[in-house]
Amino acid sequence: MNGPKIYFTIPILGGIPITSTTVSSFVVMLIICTAAFILGRNPQKRPGTRQALAEKFVEWMYSLVEDTMGKHNSYWTPYIAALFLSSILGTYIGMTGFLRAATSDLSTTVTWALMTSVLCWACSIRENGFLGWLKGFADPVPVMLPMNIVSEIAQPVSMAFRHFGNIMGGGVLMSLLYSALSTTSAAVIGLIKGSSLAVEIAVIAVGAALLAYGFVKNKLVGKIFGVLLGLLGLAALLETLGVMTGMPVLALGIPGVLSIYFDIFSGLVQALVFSLLTMVYVGNACPPHETENNINKQ
Amino acid sequence: MDGFEAIIGVNPWTALFTLLNMLITFYILKKLLFGPVKKMIDERKAEVDDAYAKADQARQEASELQDKYNRLMDGAKAERDGIIREAVSRAEKREAEIISEAKASAADIRAKAQSDIRQEKKKALNEVKNQISGISLEIAGKVCEKEIDGDKYQSLVDEFISNIGEAS
Repeated sequence: MNGPKIYFTIPILGGIPITSTTVSSFVVMLIICTAAFILGRNPQKRPGTRQALAEKFVEWMYSLVEDTMGKHNSYWTPYIAALFLSSILGTYIGMTGFLRAATSDLSTTVTWALMTSVLCWACSIRENGFLGWLKGFADPVPVMLPMNIVSEIAQPVSMAFRHFGNIMGGGVLMSLLYSALSTTSAAVIGLIKGSSLAVEIAVIAVGAALLAYGFVKNKLVGKIFGVLLGLLGLAALLETLGVMTGMPVLALGIPGVLSIYFDIFSGLVQALVFSLLTMVYVGNACPPHETENNINKQ
Repeated sequence: MDGFEAIIGVNPWTALFTLLNMLITFYILKKLLFGPVKKMIDERKAEVDDAYAKADQARQEASELQDKYNRLMDGAKAERDGIIREAVSRAEKREAEIISEAKASAADIRAKAQSDIRQEKKKALNEVKNQISGISLEIAGKVCEKEIDGDKYQSLVDEFISNIGEAS
């Protein structure tokens, strides 16, 4: 699997490369903004279906943020939502086939992780002042200074590589599976073609019989093997006749099962993990104020 | 068609575009979705709270009104009972008065009538006595053929008659 494809380079400032990641993240941004425009337009006191959906999502995000970061940090919700949606859609857009997942580019995840770190630092500086923030590195004892610096650097690095690695790994596994399946199907088709024409027709007939059996008895296994065998025979026949070659018949359907885990589940989990970690880090940097604390205690 | 980026590598331009995209996404989400929808949710919540508070207040007022009404009704009932009791007792008293007055006046009338009767009887008796004495004197005068001096024998006759009356 390659890195992001460079579509073209804008020839200014030493060449600005427009990669598939750039396009994907732009498309994701457009999707999210359009959805936000449609969902948030003209809210009414008595909500319709569209607004009920928007309110459900907004309230879910607010409750998630308030549970993790505390009520005083609820103003972070739009940013967390933007991060979550960009992450999950940036992963899912890779399933379209013609766009590459934006999150399988380290540039994207590193940027998001660094944004989280910068927000943490900004919060700390706002809370304790610049010197207070610097002093925080020597807590609780000055000996911890190098450890604290390392952990501060490790935090965005780990976040970025975790997200990137999961999505990229899923993509690599899926592409490996696709190439393995197409190699296998080429070998199987070659085997059928290497025999006589009768074998090809026999394979098609067995496939059709299995398919019919599957439909009559309503057995899923019969249907699946019927389709696979029938298609294998058909591909071998077509190759013999020279109509078309190299059909990866076995890549039909099987990768979809694994895609449920590697693309859908992994994308959701990584988006949740990334936004949860951001919430936890920023929430730690923005503790509740003393006065609020006192009010809460009373 | 310039080929591919490295698999593991950070392109500063891509990073910059990602940053800008993220900022725009954040701003648009906040302005177009979270801002208005949250505002609407909060407004509706406030309205519902307000409606509930108003309903509670109305209920409380209603129960207060009912209490007041009940108190008034109780007072009116007590007053009515008092009035009836008083009227009844007054009527009873008046009845007794009227009866006793009637009895008294009846007794008076009877006493007066009895005294009248007695007087009339006496008067009649006296008249009878006088007439008898006059008749007897006349008879006696006719018997004796001479005028009996009325004044002289009057007391004698009277005594005689009263003796007769006592004997009869």
